Amino acid sequence: MNFNEVILAANYAILGYFFALNGFYLLLYAISFVEVLDYTRREVFGGYSELFASNYAPPISVIVPAYNEEATIAASVRSFLSLRYPVFEVIVVNDGSKDRTVEILLKEFDLRESDQPLRMQLETRPIRSVYASPTERLTLVDKDNGGKADALNTGICAANYPLVCCIDADIILEEDALLRVARPMIESKKVVAVGGIVRVANGCEVDSGRVVAVKTPRAALPNFQVVEYLRSFLAGRTGWSVLNSLLIISGAFGVFRREDVISVGGYLHDTVGEDMEIVTRMHRMLRENDRDYRISFVPDPVAWTEVPTTLRVLRRQRDRWHRGLIDTLIRHRKMLFNPRYGMVGTLAMPYFLLFELLGPVVELFGYIALVVGLTLGILDFEFAVAFFVAAVALGALLSVAAVFLEELRMRRYPRWKDVVKLTFYGVIENFGYRQLVTFWRVMAIVSFLRKNRDWGAMEHRGFDTEKTVERAGKGI
Amino acid sequence: MESLGLIGLAVAVITALVSLMVIATIGVKALRALRASWLKSHYRRIEPALEQYILTGLDQPELERLPSWQQDLFLSSLMVERLALLRGAGRDHLMRLAEDLGLVDRALSQLGSRRRWHRARAAEKLGYFGGARAAKPLGELLAAEDDETVRAVTARSLARIGTPEAVRILAGTLGDPSELTRLRVAENLERIGHPAVGPLVDSLAAPDLEAAQPHGAVLATRVLGNLRASEAREVLREAALNASVMDLRAQAVLALGRIGDPDDVPGLLEAAGDESWPVRAQAANALGMIGEVSTIPRLRELMSEGEWWVRMNASKALVNMGPAGEEALIEVLRGGDPYARDRAAATLESRGFVRRWTRQLSVEGRRGDRARTAVSALVEAGTTRHLHDLMETLPADEQRVLRGMLAEEQEPAK
Repeated sequence: MNFNEVILAANYAILGYFFALNGFYLLLYAISFVEVLDYTRREVFGGYSELFASNYAPPISVIVPAYNEEATIAASVRSFLSLRYPVFEVIVVNDGSKDRTVEILLKEFDLRESDQPLRMQLETRPIRSVYASPTERLTLVDKDNGGKADALNTGICAANYPLVCCIDADIILEEDALLRVARPMIESKKVVAVGGIVRVANGCEVDSGRVVAVKTPRAALPNFQVVEYLRSFLAGRTGWSVLNSLLIISGAFGVFRREDVISVGGYLHDTVGEDMEIVTRMHRMLRENDRDYRISFVPDPVAWTEVPTTLRVLRRQRDRWHRGLIDTLIRHRKMLFNPRYGMVGTLAMPYFLLFELLGPVVELFGYIALVVGLTLGILDFEFAVAFFVAAVALGALLSVAAVFLEELRMRRYPRWKDVVKLTFYGVIENFGYRQLVTFWRVMAIVSFLRKNRDWGAMEHRGFDTEKTVERAGKGI
Repeated sequence: MESLGLIGLAVAVITALVSLMVIATIGVKALRALRASWLKSHYRRIEPALEQYILTGLDQPELERLPSWQQDLFLSSLMVERLALLRGAGRDHLMRLAEDLGLVDRALSQLGSRRRWHRARAAEKLGYFGGARAAKPLGELLAAEDDETVRAVTARSLARIGTPEAVRILAGTLGDPSELTRLRVAENLERIGHPAVGPLVDSLAAPDLEAAQPHGAVLATRVLGNLRASEAREVLREAALNASVMDLRAQAVLALGRIGDPDDVPGLLEAAGDESWPVRAQAANALGMIGEVSTIPRLRELMSEGEWWVRMNASKALVNMGPAGEEALIEVLRGGDPYARDRAAATLESRGFVRRWTRQLSVEGRRGDRARTAVSALVEAGTTRHLHDLMETLPADEQRVLRGMLAEEQEPAK
């Protein structure tokens, strides 16, 4: 086989790969459409006001890991305390912050040292002190720095209630978010974990820790991410949830049964993708123990998060996400193509390996091979168009379909302008932005191979403030 | 040439699909806006007639002229909104209107629909305007339905109907396999109130309930406790002492506490020695709710329990028992158990006792003596952090006395 034939064969293989990938996506979309339709119809009969007033809903512990959050922690905790749910507590775990996070909490909420012992059923870094509020259902656990996973494990140990909701300190939860996300667990004991949708808060109007008007951001970069989030959460995770093969519950917002998280050993410390890893491990262990279980995703309980507004920070974020994915797939490689793990082993894990992990490599290689092939005259114009259709136009279709699904059932963007804008960004993200993210993800593989296990510094701009905080190192 | 045609076709299809999606997205938004405006115009026309009917009960041609699909689509929704709020004659008028327009019959027939959302919507409506005759068909639906949402809606509707038959059906559904339905049934039985007590006591007294439906038994106990159903005391006492399910014993103990009859104190004292700590913790809680001072010695013993929750509930119970309980907690501060001392101090601090005592430190007479005794007990116990925190908030005289007491502070016994 000469060089020209290799280039030709590679291009055809890549073309087939893209058709397979996007075909699978379309199938997942079809499942998600049906599920979201069903969900929104069921919502009509939700009776959330009755559930809120109920004496019988299982209580929830909301766990908030905090690392150098002095700019936003007081407002965040205040907004978490005002959530609508019959009985819940908020447990803030200070992960050895170097700023005034602890002092601010002690002062703002009049916290006092507590003698309540923690049931340390998971191994964590040493705890310095536990504080409790005399009036609010608020506990602060101050501990040595050990990373987000360690902070979450500490919070899970400190939780008094059977359901634990793990959230990021810098997100905004909608008032009814807990009611909605806990509902699948109330409906069935089989449900061991539930993820909620995370939306982009950039551009929205925020007042007193609540999103009061949903709008799209002005800048292009966050708008691309709005479309990405819709595609990933609304269309992707909903479909995986129906297949009971959801491998990721966002670290920003997820609910677990405490006893199940503890029985699988809690969050893992030495990974940057602890949110995917724990869900994959739950699948693995529950299936190995022949448990009849479900891990669900609910498309409506909304957590709002601020997404990166600069390429530098976005690159770091994507780099970390991709390294987390690789790490999880390597740790649980035993599950790959293994029918013992049902749909997770035979469909979800291979999908994540072939399309999510290797997808960027194939795509980048495809672009290079296409350019080389066209330059050397090995490939003709027809092939280039076919490649364009498979790689880019189908991608645009998927993005626009996600915006359509959003408008059809969820209707979070009331303004015409925003819907048109998102549709527009759904198309143009495939011309430049997507290729950039693909490149970053390939570089993340290189970074993983170089044994980079850093979180990377993230920038966080408080929702109600213009102050920008740099959080670096082994942070959250 | 052939491949070019295929590729052209693929490009055309994808472009058409993308365009279709864009048009559909915009179209959905436009259609929704149109529908909202259409509904608004109908509501504007119908609502005055409906209000008139509620007030007078006189026939309104505007309502009768509506085609049945419009009656089902939005008139019934408007009626449900009002029925949720109305009592008395207005409510009776609306119930009669639902019968006269055939809304009840149509909803009853919809209960057998093959589409679950139609069944759910019909069950929801019948809860508002179905009346007593809807109880039986709703009960049948509850027993046969597979869909959890429909079952939960049906349970809610039965509770709204609230007739003895509806209550009996609900009480029999407390052991439903779906936690959501059980929860709905329980909260709705609680909402019905006293008429639910009899069927709940009967179901709890049934010999096989605990074994067959432990969740149902626990919920029945909780509902009886929340309803403060003194008629249920006997069956609750039995469950508190002899049930094999720990949750049931704990809930029964708590229910007895909520009912608050002093005659149940001996049983609760026995439950305070249960092998499971949640039952002991609830027994302490229940004894606090009843507030019999004769139980103070036992509560003091519970303050030295190995389990934090038992100590916590015992301390809360004592603090709720007035001066005698306060005295008991001060005695605990002087005791030899450091965990009990810490808990007593934390409870007294959180309830504002320590703050109050520090403000009486320079007062002459019994009140001042008591305050000084209590603060000196805190100092002896080594639990002085809160006292230090309070120092700056005190008047000069109190500060001087407190400083003197803290100067004599010994190393904590702990």
